[in-house]
Amino acid sequence: MGDNNIGKVLEREGFKYNFTAAASDTSAQDEVIKEQDRLLPIANVGRIMKQILPPNAKISKEAKETMQECVSEFISFVTGEASDKCHKEKRKTVNGDDICWALATLGFDDYSEPLKRYLHKYREFEGERANQNKGNNNTYENNIANI
Amino acid sequence: MKPFLFLNLPNTEFNSSQVDCNHSMAHSSYPYGDPIFAYGPQAISHPQMIPPMLGLASTRVALPLDLAEDGPIYVNAKQYHGILRRRQSRAKLEAQNKLIKNRKPYLHESRHRHALNRVRGSGGRFLSTKQLAQSNAEFVTGAHSGSDPTNRYQKEHLSEVESHSSKDGDNSSFITTCSDRPCLSGNNVNFRQQECMFLGNSANMGGSPQFSGGLTFGGAKQRTSVVR
Repeated sequence: MGDNNIGKVLEREGFKYNFTAAASDTSAQDEVIKEQDRLLPIANVGRIMKQILPPNAKISKEAKETMQECVSEFISFVTGEASDKCHKEKRKTVNGDDICWALATLGFDDYSEPLKRYLHKYREFEGERANQNKGNNNTYENNIANI
Repeated sequence: MKPFLFLNLPNTEFNSSQVDCNHSMAHSSYPYGDPIFAYGPQAISHPQMIPPMLGLASTRVALPLDLAEDGPIYVNAKQYHGILRRRQSRAKLEAQNKLIKNRKPYLHESRHRHALNRVRGSGGRFLSTKQLAQSNAEFVTGAHSGSDPTNRYQKEHLSEVESHSSKDGDNSSFITTCSDRPCLSGNNVNFRQQECMFLGNSANMGGSPQFSGGLTFGGAKQRTSVVR
């Protein structure tokens, strides 16, 4: 259950930042949880950190690993809240609305509102997938610009 | 387990040091005695830099003392149950010995060995033969026809080039960076093709510093606009 939730969040995050990383769902076994199942890929984390820094800035590997732990724990924290809500409502699938609700419930209102708008734009974008590739690119750019 | 706890402490201390106590409407009893809340009509102004969890309407509840070294740790009341739930989850994983103790420098042994066998040039970067460079040039030419996946991989390569240049030729980090690529692609054939193509681009850019700088700056701009 936990792994599936984390996988879904990874997919969403991946879309927002142009990830191509795929979260692999593994069944609950008596093995050590693999690093790639518990944490976001460190290369993608480093790339996101670099976006906000000047071009000549350097990021140590220790900083990337620390941020890797922080963002992965935050994802588990929010997803756990959303999963609790689904469990109480006898639902098995955690969807984007549950994540937005969990963010608001945990006090992250400033994040919840932008993500709701983003989720709305994302669903519109998915609905227009039948368009041509060029049309899709334009729509994607427009949606990103509107957020 | 411990790294998480260590990370939790500074954050909560930051919260407690930034916000004064407010009257807690959802007061609940604790086995460690009643915490003392200070009352006062202080008006707090929050600049943008403060995390959004420190809202005016937020109240703080004391966490159990078992993990605090000096006094209770106060957190956002909305997050109290979530934090306890996460602690239980981590404790459960810890009991089952499922948490990773030491990080592996690479994820796949075979790919690690393959990377070790590749030829490296100055600065520790991989080299490609002329034949591969020529075939890469053809592949790149084909990419300009508007193939989205290929464009995506090109962008990733540009950012990876930045990452390499910023590491001052640290070979171990370079190996780790290469090992991270399997996370992006599960297909070995695609991995090799993209690798050859990327190295071809790198070789081309190596001969022209200005050209390389321009590409890097352009790539950064694009990604910034996407985030906005």
